Amino acid sequence: MGNKGWSILFGVVMLACALSFAVAPMMGWWLPRGESSHAWDVDFLFYVIFWIVAFFFILTEAVLVIFLWLYASNPDGKRPVSESAEAVGFMKPVTGFLNNEHRIELAWTFIPSVILLYIAFAQVSAWADIKYAARQKDPWKSATVGKTDGGAALQMAVSARQFEWRVRYPSVERFKKWMDPKRTDKSDYDSFGKAPQADDIYVVNEIHFWEDYKITPDQNKPNDHVWRHNSVVVYLTTRDVIHSFNLPNFRVKQDALPGKMIPVWFRTAASRVEKMDGKIDERYPLHKTHNCKWDNDKNRYVDGINPDSGEKDNAFIFDLACAELCGWGHYRMIGRAFVHKDQADFLNWLEIAEKENRKRE
Amino acid sequence: MDSHGTPGTTHAHEHHELSFIRKYIFSEDHKIIGIQFLFTSIIFLGLGGLLALMVRIQLAWPHYEIPLIHEYFKTNGGRIHESFYNMLFTMHASVMIFFVIIPFLTGAFGNFTIPLMIGAPDMAFPKLNMMSYWVLWPAFVLISFSFFVDGGAAASGWTGYPTLSSAGMPIGGAFESPAAPGSGHGQIFWLMSLLCVGVGSMMGSVNYITTIINMRAPGMTLYRMPMTIWAMFITAILQAFALPVLTVALFFQLLDKTLGTTFFLPDGLTFGNWSPHVGGGQPLLWQHLFWFYSHPAVYIMILPAMGMVSDIISTFARRPLFGYRAMVYSIAGIAGLGFIVWGHHMFQSGMDPRLGTGFMIATIMIALPSAVKVFNWLGTIYRGNIQFTTPMLFALGFVSLFIIGGLSGIFMAATPVDIYIHDTYFIVAHIHYVLFTSSLFGIFGAIYYWFPKMFGRMMNDNLGKVHFFLTFVFGNCVFFPMHLVGIMGLRRRIPDVTAGILERNTLPLNEFMSISALILGTVQLIFVANFLWSLFFGKKADRNPWHANTLEWTTGNPVPGHGNFDTVPVVHSGPYVYGEFGAKDNCLQTEKPEPGMAGAAH
Repeated sequence: MGNKGWSILFGVVMLACALSFAVAPMMGWWLPRGESSHAWDVDFLFYVIFWIVAFFFILTEAVLVIFLWLYASNPDGKRPVSESAEAVGFMKPVTGFLNNEHRIELAWTFIPSVILLYIAFAQVSAWADIKYAARQKDPWKSATVGKTDGGAALQMAVSARQFEWRVRYPSVERFKKWMDPKRTDKSDYDSFGKAPQADDIYVVNEIHFWEDYKITPDQNKPNDHVWRHNSVVVYLTTRDVIHSFNLPNFRVKQDALPGKMIPVWFRTAASRVEKMDGKIDERYPLHKTHNCKWDNDKNRYVDGINPDSGEKDNAFIFDLACAELCGWGHYRMIGRAFVHKDQADFLNWLEIAEKENRKRE
Repeated sequence: MDSHGTPGTTHAHEHHELSFIRKYIFSEDHKIIGIQFLFTSIIFLGLGGLLALMVRIQLAWPHYEIPLIHEYFKTNGGRIHESFYNMLFTMHASVMIFFVIIPFLTGAFGNFTIPLMIGAPDMAFPKLNMMSYWVLWPAFVLISFSFFVDGGAAASGWTGYPTLSSAGMPIGGAFESPAAPGSGHGQIFWLMSLLCVGVGSMMGSVNYITTIINMRAPGMTLYRMPMTIWAMFITAILQAFALPVLTVALFFQLLDKTLGTTFFLPDGLTFGNWSPHVGGGQPLLWQHLFWFYSHPAVYIMILPAMGMVSDIISTFARRPLFGYRAMVYSIAGIAGLGFIVWGHHMFQSGMDPRLGTGFMIATIMIALPSAVKVFNWLGTIYRGNIQFTTPMLFALGFVSLFIIGGLSGIFMAATPVDIYIHDTYFIVAHIHYVLFTSSLFGIFGAIYYWFPKMFGRMMNDNLGKVHFFLTFVFGNCVFFPMHLVGIMGLRRRIPDVTAGILERNTLPLNEFMSISALILGTVQLIFVANFLWSLFFGKKADRNPWHANTLEWTTGNPVPGHGNFDTVPVVHSGPYVYGEFGAKDNCLQTEKPEPGMAGAAH
């Protein structure tokens, strides 16, 4: 064995690394389920890169280990393989290629560059859809599918500070106006992000929105409905240092920058009718996301409820955890996302929150 | 300065005796300066390592008292305070980057190898070289003392993002910070210290560029230079172009903190209930300036290691370096692209997302030259006669783990995927695979490799192998699971992983990593013992113990003081003429290779 033992060390350690990635998903050491409509894209791209990277990791490490085994110096110092010797069996088909330095350099420059360009361009549209302002539907009409109006998008303003998230919602009255199919006051809607009003509702460390609602694109076919998903627009600011609005379950992350207001858009996962014509995009899996319900004993909404079973389930607690170092309390600058099952449930919460706000005044 | 004298004539030495202080302390000899850098870097490596171990202990056992220092935190129930934790990782990173990796690579090995490997008697500017080391001493003093100032050392991350780092008290107020205790005096010390480091690096890089361009021995054409020298050359160019930007940024932040300017402070900041500032600045500007330096700096921290590893692999595989020119081009490619990818640190920062798309494509393409280098290293060991010496093991460890560090970079280069993994432990895993298991492995390899030329003695090879074995195994145990906890959503820079629901599940993996880290830290004592013992009692080394070809091995042990070479070396071949040719399988660069020898084409 002698020198060849080292190739075994390299082989075993690299194999252990590879295996840990195989075992991790079984142990639950993996991505949390994606709860937003774009999470599917993000995760898909993650797996595209993952499998390409895994292939090249195994290929290059295997070649390294095999070479270390084959070409380890003999104990007597003689060369294990003569310079002029024939190639080992499995290498024979590519011997001519391997002996031509220029050709092989070209090959291993050209092939990876094609793969890398593919990886790069595969990302572009998902990134644009998630972050470009120009790609977002006008929030005023964003819940419109086909000819059916679903109301405007829910707007909230999040102001980060050391060490909490302070969230501003519209008053119940204003909210109802926004969701009215016959709404007209667009300037009032558009001013929400820029100018706080006296009747706004403030909540700390909780962001609330709702999962989806049923709409029927064609009124003549009442049973032919689409689960249309609600858009959320967050107007993100900070008043002291940089924080990061991070909803890992929703694959949302955006730094809050002092002196700037940055809008963040996302939708929950329950439905993905993002085609402009209102058709369901069949690529996507569909699952329920709402995670909270009214608790009579506690007299408040509680989160962490599995929407399928209605039972308590920690997998359905969605942290809003600051992701940019913001001082000593950074680690515990954690809010929660409450996803209501529909607009009515959300409205119910908003009314309660408004009462709480008014009580303090 | 001109060393292109008549070949073969004896070099004119001035044989006056230098005093001890001129010879070993304020020395103008590049070898002594290199060794000075080496010793200081090793000491700071110890400090940075201890800081890292304290970070790891806190992460694994967040609700326990930290041994030894819990007395200091009596008011906090014996547990370390969160802002102290922020200081730990901030200073760990700052020390490791600015006082360990960069001085090791460019300071210690740049200084030691460049004149020797190009056949020059010394650096072009010996006095400037001396100053490039001594200007670091204010930096050492400032960074060490900053732990003891009011509020503690800097605690806003090694990136020092405003406004956390730079918000100040009203004009006329003290130097405390309204944002974090460490962002007061500690941050000011940190800024001043880094400014000194920058000045030192600048002096070094100017010197390296001039030396390599002007002082090569006769026959040492550019394409006969060893890869180490190519890497040092391109690194020096990178530093010369990027450092001024960091220096300016550091100055701006220092002015913000001390003179009340507002380069990085916008209007309307409010801390608690009071607004300390008039504004008008832009915090994002710091990030642009900082990363315009610090992204090239990532390559400053890896390219020299790549160069040294190339030389080590070729030497111990007894094979010419595969694709020498492609290797040079890919180093140049990395350096060139390295200047247009800084925005990939800022995808989620509030920078216009359309810029992110451009930065993403440039960033993903930078993987290409890195891949070419890996393939070339594999091509070098193909059909080699691999000698598993300690330097070779570390070099091979570098290759196998740089693959991981390189590949994991593609995830975070992809903007949509980065939304999720940005600021998680996935990033921490990536940087440690590149800087610890790659750069530091390259450094360890280089120490074992050049130790005989530096000190005339060999390091113990068996102890070196034990050191490699344990470092390789436990290094992976510490850093590989960080990918997994990152994928699980664990944020970086938090002292208590049980704070968030999603992160709580990572606690067992964190314990595993921390126990591995404690072992990894302990294992380094083997290296320290080997190093110190070998300095005094190591086996006397031959002139060319590794049967390498490059010029430093043609001169005596120890290398003659000023002048390096007894006669001016004349170069007849490239650095990598290895293979099967009769009694020996190498051909020194000063020898004329027989026609047809592998690698003799250069």
